[in-house]
Amino acid sequence: MIAVRRMLQKGEDSFREFLNQVRENKSFPKPDLNNEPFSEEFSPKIIIDDMITFKSKQELAEYLNKVFEISGVKREDVIGDKGLWTWLAYTWFEQITNNRCNILKREEHYICTSPSNYRRYYIHLVAPCYIIYSLYGLPISKLFVYNPPWEINDFTERVAANQFIISHKNIMEAIYRLYFDERSGRPKRGASSDEEGSVRRFIKVIQQFEFTYDIYSMSSDQIINLLPPEFNRWKPS
Amino acid sequence: MKRVLNFTERKRIKRKNVSIQFIRQNGKVVGFTLEKLDLNDLDLPNYAKIYIEAYYRTELKRFDLGTINSFTLPYSGDLKDIAYSENSKFRILVIDPSDLKILAHADKISPDEIAGKRAILPVEFTDLGNEIWRVEYEGDEGAPILMINREIPNIQNIAKKDPQFLLYVYPAVLREILIHIVFVDKIDSTTEPTVGWHRDWLKFTQQLGVEIPESLSIENDNFNRDDILEWISNCITKFCNKYAEKFQEYVKIIEEAP
Repeated sequence: MIAVRRMLQKGEDSFREFLNQVRENKSFPKPDLNNEPFSEEFSPKIIIDDMITFKSKQELAEYLNKVFEISGVKREDVIGDKGLWTWLAYTWFEQITNNRCNILKREEHYICTSPSNYRRYYIHLVAPCYIIYSLYGLPISKLFVYNPPWEINDFTERVAANQFIISHKNIMEAIYRLYFDERSGRPKRGASSDEEGSVRRFIKVIQQFEFTYDIYSMSSDQIINLLPPEFNRWKPS
Repeated sequence: MKRVLNFTERKRIKRKNVSIQFIRQNGKVVGFTLEKLDLNDLDLPNYAKIYIEAYYRTELKRFDLGTINSFTLPYSGDLKDIAYSENSKFRILVIDPSDLKILAHADKISPDEIAGKRAILPVEFTDLGNEIWRVEYEGDEGAPILMINREIPNIQNIAKKDPQFLLYVYPAVLREILIHIVFVDKIDSTTEPTVGWHRDWLKFTQQLGVEIPESLSIENDNFNRDDILEWISNCITKFCNKYAEKFQEYVKIIEEAP
């Protein structure tokens, strides 16, 4: 068990150096960055299990949601804290790299960037699972947390970059209902492809509706019913 | 840039007809006040509903102001439970409740204090390989972010103070951004651009004392490429003049070099 910390600039630099080294040599030892000037203790004190195993992003998000809740930490106080997310990625590094078998190329998967640079921010492997899960819960967030912690999530990358869509619960519910297959526990085949009615097309269509209708006041049913025929095969029966 | 079609003839609420202020407690944004919302020239039906939304990234909070004939100002809203409240932007919507169509709107509104004070060019230090700097258009609505190579020793200090860096980099950045606004994004209006960051940069060029050409829109008949290029060059000249003391510092460094 370990007290949660927030990565400081020096710690971020050392973590980055470690990332460069471990890509070359998988057994490269992880540096101890759990002290100043590399990191500082998060306030209020939160204890997490640094050895815990998560089978999916969902388990990771549920775990964080629980520990933040128990510690009285509000979602709005942590979601923009990039030092916290970088430290969590450092702490659960083995988890989010499948024991170093799946180390992704871009450092932003591990080192959290400023939320203003949203394309980079939402490719972090820890932050967006919590951000989306804590906002919408289950089942709406399933598409964004169904896969293992070390994998990129196509839906997060496509949907989270669109401010209008990611901030509307009813649109997110429509996305879940159109593209998630509850029987397999995965997205429907082709949901994030370029084919007709895919989530890419959904985003484009919603971008047109956005300037015509008061989408906020609609139910997910109403949104789905507005969609053109190319979405018919995706619609829930 | 996202092109917006207006098949439904929704009306645009002009920025000058809206005034929003943040409410702060101990320096932290806890709410907002809508001081002004002038809809008089839009000929909207009395029964239409008015909403104001505060938003940033995943966060969105809607406030119901009532109808055209019933809303009162000032109107205050609570932002304590919204993340990134400091970065909140605002959207005003006038809706026909019978068919949920948007009758009028204003979007990407920054509170008045922010519009005056906000830095328009965020800077990030990152690994750029062998490049010293690069502009990436990955901020809100594709806004520019200046990426600087953090592998350069003491670069954070250099980027703020070093006259050579300032004179070599920032005029080139300004030129690139203005070219991007006109020729890549194809800005849609000189007076009321749809994209918030376009508006901020045009305001910045006006503050430099450079008059904006009649049209910046490539699709406009009055568009004149040479005028645009001249306008951009004038902006760079004025920008460099503003930092004339840095030029003198730069010359001094060169003169004193062994």
